[in-house]
Amino acid sequence: MPIRRSQRLAARREAAFAALLVAPVLAWLGATLLYPLAVSLALSVENVRVIGSVGRFVGLDNYLSVLGSAAFWLALGRSVVWVVGNAVVQTALAMAAALVLEQSFPGVRIARTWIVLTWIVPTIVIVIVWRWLLSTSGGMINPLLIALGVIREPVGFFSTPASAMATLILINSWRWFPFIAVMLLAGLQRIPGELYEAAALDGASRFARFRRITLPLLQPTLFVLTVIGTLLSFNVFDIVWLLTGGGPANATTTLPILIYRTAFKGYRLSEAAAMSVVATVLLMGLALIAVRTLAPREEAR
Amino acid sequence: MRGRNFVFASLVAMLAASAAAQADPVQIRLWHMEQPPQRVARVQQLIDEFNKANPDIVVKQEPQNWGEVYAKAPAAIAAGNAPDILFAIPDFTTVIKGLGALTSVKDFVAKLNEQHHFIPATLRPYEYDGGVWAVPLYNMAISLWYRHSVFDKAGLKPPQTWSEWRKDAEALSKAGLYGAGLPANKQLYTDQTVYATMVNNGAAQLFGDDGALRFDNPKTVEAYAFYKDMFKYSAPDATNWTWGEAEACFDAAKCGTVLQFTVISTYNAQGGDPADLGVAAVPHNDGETASNTIAYSNAAMILAKDPAKRKAAEAFISFLLEPANYGRFLNMEPGLFLPATEDGAKAPSFWNDPLAVKYKSQIETMIANSQNGMLFGFTSGKVFPAIGAISAQNILAGTLQRIVVGGDAPAAAVAAGQKEMQEAAK
Repeated sequence: MPIRRSQRLAARREAAFAALLVAPVLAWLGATLLYPLAVSLALSVENVRVIGSVGRFVGLDNYLSVLGSAAFWLALGRSVVWVVGNAVVQTALAMAAALVLEQSFPGVRIARTWIVLTWIVPTIVIVIVWRWLLSTSGGMINPLLIALGVIREPVGFFSTPASAMATLILINSWRWFPFIAVMLLAGLQRIPGELYEAAALDGASRFARFRRITLPLLQPTLFVLTVIGTLLSFNVFDIVWLLTGGGPANATTTLPILIYRTAFKGYRLSEAAAMSVVATVLLMGLALIAVRTLAPREEAR
Repeated sequence: MRGRNFVFASLVAMLAASAAAQADPVQIRLWHMEQPPQRVARVQQLIDEFNKANPDIVVKQEPQNWGEVYAKAPAAIAAGNAPDILFAIPDFTTVIKGLGALTSVKDFVAKLNEQHHFIPATLRPYEYDGGVWAVPLYNMAISLWYRHSVFDKAGLKPPQTWSEWRKDAEALSKAGLYGAGLPANKQLYTDQTVYATMVNNGAAQLFGDDGALRFDNPKTVEAYAFYKDMFKYSAPDATNWTWGEAEACFDAAKCGTVLQFTVISTYNAQGGDPADLGVAAVPHNDGETASNTIAYSNAAMILAKDPAKRKAAEAFISFLLEPANYGRFLNMEPGLFLPATEDGAKAPSFWNDPLAVKYKSQIETMIANSQNGMLFGFTSGKVFPAIGAISAQNILAGTLQRIVVGGDAPAAAVAAGQKEMQEAAK
């Protein structure tokens, strides 16, 4: 009996110690996430326009206005296109890069270091570089495409709705795929080499090995990347705002851009807060669905 | 005895406190949005001179950026941490005034006006509701920029009317240039170039006297139709242009004409020949008699409430407007900031700058153009609060995008633009 009590005491002490260790992080999360969320909730039921001004309680009016607004649903639709487009392009680029970097060849270590460069360069630098590269006044891409015979005269990459969104997705993917590639590379290196050797002995082709071994065993990594990547992509603001400002003709106005515009350009802070709350609920719902449906099951392992 | 000691001690304490109070200089926090390092350095140079000459005042600058200040300044005011002097453009002033943070500076401006004579166009956007809400500091006006050599080679003359400009743009395009470097981004630069076209077709007024929007009218539609017509001579990426891209297009000698506040600094940095740089007024519709333009009068708002601080803020602003200092202040970015006062426009401190010496004739033309400057929402002597949101949401530029990107007819786009303005005004 005394042993059990001492065990219980030790377990309690351990739990208390664990809580003590976690407490600063929880407090930090509370201050940086829960408090702003609570403020957003409070703001969303008022009619505050300019930041710092006083509003009055309007109940759910802002939510009704947001949910009945075509601009909100259009922006949400563009956000979905943005997230899916980025997911597809980034995963494809990252998978290809990871498969190459997993091989042994001279300079592979340098290549593994260099690949993360685009990821660590500040957004503003990337924006300036790409704006210049794509410019029709001194940029390099247009002359290159003309020299290759792809186009006959300079084109504006951000001049039409479709090309603007596609260009943005490519630039953002170019920036982020190294991060995913590094994660995938870590996942690839965890797959035992014997599995490939055995499959090769059984006469499996490269593609069959990739489909039957690599993809299933990468599933946990891909799942984590899908959830995190979706949330991160959805919330991307800087690169879109700096490259297109949501244009042309609102074609790249995703939900974060619309929220920013509503709050700081339209001076409708409470309406923007309501949009933020709806977006948070949607993202939380999406994350829950992803965890329930996409998470690799224990028996599958 | 004890009583006498107490009185004596109290007197000493009061005198000491008074002396300490006198010794404490008045602190003035200045927020401006001129962030480039050379501008910050020039402002600091002037602040140092002022602080040295006024030991009872200490001015400190805290540079901000235009992208954030619309949110940051109201937040600072709400937190009781507002700067004492805040630089402004007209629509920003309506936002700050709407928060009840401004006291009229009518008397102070009248006193300055007697000394320096403000150019009326720079003062007008700040005079409304029976008060004057900021002190004009410098002006920026859009002009048409071109190269004499390019025009001579093509056998063209600088355009004065829309039909001449269209003809020139067409000829320049045939010569392999972008005949008219015009933007169509949903951004402030496009607001400015669109409005520069509207004011040259008698469509300057956004509001009627009663505050009703009158954006949707045949003159505005005609101005948008002309812009659309000209836009086919612009660069294909102009739907994403801000000021920098247009300037780059001109500097790279790819654009035959551009509408800009200035190109002097970059043109000069690229080794351009001052004699070859042409500047003219923005062309007007053939039926109009004279050219107008859009002008941004930049000003200083005094947010300080404490009388001593207000007095100190006024002293600093007066110091900046003194002709001996004013030119150096304007030349924090030579060739961009134009004088807001008549004596400033003649001040040797302005004209002695090496760049001003080199580009004197161009700057004189810019100043002449700025005299006919107007700003949307600030043309009638009455200012309606909706202009803050209309301006911030770039609805003028958004209307243009409906036409050149969305393919809408000008009349339909202008009608939609007016509806958007009405929504913004709610």
